[in-house]
Amino acid sequence: MKAREAIEVLARHRGEAVAVCALGMAANEWWAATKSEDSFYMHGAMGFAASFALGLALSLPQAPVWLINADGSLCMNLGCLLTEAAQAAKNLKHFVVANGVYQTVGALPMVNEGRTDYAAMARAAGFARARTIEAREELARQMPAIAAEDGPSFTVLRVEPESGFLRTPPMTYEGPEMKYRFGRALERRFGIQVFGPQGY
Amino acid sequence: MDVTAQIHEQLTRCGIRLAASLPDDWVAPLITRIAADNQIRHVPVAREAEAIAICSGAFFGGVRSVALMGATGLLTCTGELATLNLRHQIPVFLIVSQRGSIDDHRIYQEVQGRRTLPLLQAYDFPYHVVDRPDEVSSIPDAFETCRLQKRPFVLFLTRRLVKGEGAT
Repeated sequence: MKAREAIEVLARHRGEAVAVCALGMAANEWWAATKSEDSFYMHGAMGFAASFALGLALSLPQAPVWLINADGSLCMNLGCLLTEAAQAAKNLKHFVVANGVYQTVGALPMVNEGRTDYAAMARAAGFARARTIEAREELARQMPAIAAEDGPSFTVLRVEPESGFLRTPPMTYEGPEMKYRFGRALERRFGIQVFGPQGY
Repeated sequence: MDVTAQIHEQLTRCGIRLAASLPDDWVAPLITRIAADNQIRHVPVAREAEAIAICSGAFFGGVRSVALMGATGLLTCTGELATLNLRHQIPVFLIVSQRGSIDDHRIYQEVQGRRTLPLLQAYDFPYHVVDRPDEVSSIPDAFETCRLQKRPFVLFLTRRLVKGEGAT
């Protein structure tokens, strides 16, 4: 399946989930599919969308939190698997769009491509629920159960690399604007206070 | 009350509900104490930048948090502090051991001692050094300044503070 197809299936089953997206392909495709403001789109800190999502999930246990990660980002911070497994947040689901390349910079191959089993690594770290899905139809069939199960869960979406650059544009909000849109969206939805009375 | 208990008390006054940590031996007693507080979610991490991003995510959940680490760990986080916290103006409050000071005679800490503060100044990250027990009460003001300035804020703990006067 293509990355866009995989993301579109996820988006259809999203329900009330708040999403945190790794920078690049994952964030750009999620924005294209959802245009959602109750999603956080990383602009940097490659590898650490996972940690951001964990912090959000632990702090907002009433919200389902979906991490839309990518294989390049996962490999920048494999230790996140240990931390996620140890914290065992029931409201956190970790998806990895795995295409084996650094797509956003021209599809250069990733280290150890073709030999790494990320789901096995997650199981070894302590995830009770980890799997790899390779076909769009299979993803569509499994998503209702994945969306309904307790976290932490780890789902690798094996997708085809595109040829060359993937030119899906990034979301259009500047860094601070995205912070305020995301924070205000969570305040409205969950009745929490992210910003103080003076707006900071 | 020992200084670790004093710092813990001030963090509670700040409303801290989550602490992400990777130990350095100077901050280890504080981490142990916070881990035993069931009012604070303790998140041990495998790399210090995880703590930065976890606290950043917690900010959007409306939870006040602190990242605890050593000076060497702080140096490993500079990319994430710049491209996540500066990029989006997300406050993150760090408590860090001020390694490499003139009374820290560990050769592997000397670069941290010489270059950490100039590095923070280059990034325009505010910081505050707590050197004596009677300065621990400044922590709530430091925490509020972090939120107000919307960026990383480093509260350094000195050797004299955490080890005591004349410690070897």
